[in-house]
Amino acid sequence: MSSTSADFTTSKTFLIDTTKCTGCRGCQVACKQWNQLKAEDTKFFSGEGYQNPPLMSEFTFTRVKFKDYQKNGQNEFAFYKEMCMHCNEPACASVCPVGAFKKTTEGPVVYDAKRCIGCRFCMIACPFGVPKYEWSKAFPLVRKCTGCYSRIKEGLQPACATACPTAITYGSRSDMLKEAEKRLKNRPERYHQAIYGKDEAGGTSVLYLTHQPLDELGFKPVTKRALPSYTWQALRLVPGIFLTVGGGLSLLSWFTHRSERIRREEAFKNSKVTPETTNVETSEAETKEEHQ
Amino acid sequence: MTAAKLIINEIKGYHNFLKFMIALVGLGAFASLVRFIFGLGVTTNLNDVYPWGLWISFDVVTAVPLAAGAFTLGAIVHCFHIKKLEPLVRPAIVTGFLGYSLVSVGLLLDLGQPQRAWHTMVYWNVHSPMFEVSMCIMAYTTVLFLEFLSPVCEKFGYHLPLRVLRWLEMPLVIGAASISTLHQSSLGTFFLIAVDKLHALWYNPLLPLLFWLSAIFTGISIIILEATMVHRFMGQPDESELLEVLTKILPWVLAVYLAVKLAATTLLSHGPLFDRPSLLALFVAEIVIGVIIPMVMFMKQAYREDQRMQLRGASLVIFGLVLNRFNVSMFGMEQADQAIYYPSVIESLVTIGIIAAHVLFFVLLAKYFPIFEHHPETVDYSIPDHAHSTAADHGHSPATGSGAVH
Repeated sequence: MSSTSADFTTSKTFLIDTTKCTGCRGCQVACKQWNQLKAEDTKFFSGEGYQNPPLMSEFTFTRVKFKDYQKNGQNEFAFYKEMCMHCNEPACASVCPVGAFKKTTEGPVVYDAKRCIGCRFCMIACPFGVPKYEWSKAFPLVRKCTGCYSRIKEGLQPACATACPTAITYGSRSDMLKEAEKRLKNRPERYHQAIYGKDEAGGTSVLYLTHQPLDELGFKPVTKRALPSYTWQALRLVPGIFLTVGGGLSLLSWFTHRSERIRREEAFKNSKVTPETTNVETSEAETKEEHQ
Repeated sequence: MTAAKLIINEIKGYHNFLKFMIALVGLGAFASLVRFIFGLGVTTNLNDVYPWGLWISFDVVTAVPLAAGAFTLGAIVHCFHIKKLEPLVRPAIVTGFLGYSLVSVGLLLDLGQPQRAWHTMVYWNVHSPMFEVSMCIMAYTTVLFLEFLSPVCEKFGYHLPLRVLRWLEMPLVIGAASISTLHQSSLGTFFLIAVDKLHALWYNPLLPLLFWLSAIFTGISIIILEATMVHRFMGQPDESELLEVLTKILPWVLAVYLAVKLAATTLLSHGPLFDRPSLLALFVAEIVIGVIIPMVMFMKQAYREDQRMQLRGASLVIFGLVLNRFNVSMFGMEQADQAIYYPSVIESLVTIGIIAAHVLFFVLLAKYFPIFEHHPETVDYSIPDHAHSTAADHGHSPATGSGAVH
């Protein structure tokens, strides 16, 4: 995980061009169907604007965020398909105490429910707020977008990418980056000049192109450094610290106990003790001396 | 009279305060039962925005440094060889053992799949601070249990284990200090992953070091608090003379902590420090009340010696620590536009029950086991003659066996 040398150019990657998104939410429906997720009881305007459901949840792995804005005095929509970013070096995988998350060579970050102990550290760690908890259950697990790992292993494309009529392109990371850069170059007036996911969190398997500045669309400003490196820079010191503290204190104790040990040996030499009492240690030897 | 009746009669004789504690523990146990029947979502105010609440912030992140007295004092007494503090060691070990046992209880309550807690031992992930901490907590609870066995063996006069335990004393003390260093600091590492979530006032790469340093001064303060309370309410001798040694160490540790903290906050943190007035107020409160005031107090000889000032200073340090851990794990993690988390009734009852359980078990252990009457020089570590002939016989020798040495 700490190795930045690993090659992610062949990881399957989503290129989501939000300028082409029509907000049909076909991806949401396809995701629910493939993953057999329950429908949620929702109300219009329960979140910001027209988006529905208001948030991702244990029942909703992806959803389209709506953003109202004004252009030439007209009301316009901008869309943002929120989903797991499938980071190259995922924070969830690094913090999970039982290693339930794994970045597959194919690209998706997958979750092994059989290992999970339900500590929710992944939810704290994820910079994108993706893992969701089964709050409705007595013994909950974590749920999140699987990148349709079961489909891509069989040579299919993810459900949302298949359903999307316009905006999602799916392929190797290097191809998708090339394609994104091409679009930015060819239509500079159409795009905000940035590829969200190229460097975010050390690079992800989901790339976004937008018309508007990223923060206005609700993209979280995220560090460009891979998150596992933040904790690893401290954790890698663990064995060294253990040995230093342990060894240091042992040495210190040896010195601080030394005078006492010498005194005891002297006392032993000078006294006519029988061999049997040799294993009587410091404190007892002292009290004996006091009493003599 | 049946055993149950004996126990009921014994409890009837307890002080009302203890009965109240028993009631709180009972309520806490009931609340945990409710939590397991109805699930986390219904019984707590946790949600996808606040996956960690009171149970992690208090029962784990705060309770672990509060139980740091055992390893701190162990190192001071045995490694730095300040032997006169020995009478304080055993109560500190009992507090530590109870503390860690209850941390484990709190952790299990918070897990979605507590029946799988053993998975951490099978599916290792050395990149996870949580893995690190859970392994350390298991190891250290075992160490504390072994250290805690000494008074138990003394009580029942088990001579052989007592000798083994005494032979293990130094390795256990050193092991305790090393393991504690690791997990006290790794609790800080938890929050290093929250890069864009934890506010810059607390997020800096030295967080693990700060957690470790604050665990040390908290451990010392807890011992002062505990010894003073025990003197006031449990009729134990006044140890303020011994505590003076601790109040002498305290300002030094506080000063080092303050220096590291200010340096880390000003030099190593990224992002605006003064953008959220409420967080800034919490930060200032934590430093002024919990670090600067007690540090200045204990720089004065008169305050170091005075029993009341010892208690006040230590309480301030502990208050500051609790505030600091809540700042890091809760308040500092709340984003400006988020709803504010507050614990539900069930969450609060469980945490109150855990605190009450700590007090209750401490008093009961002190009542039935030689916790305070420990004078190392009087303990009989020799194997009595009759033990050689009949092993089954060794239950009846006197508890502290003070006469046998001479």
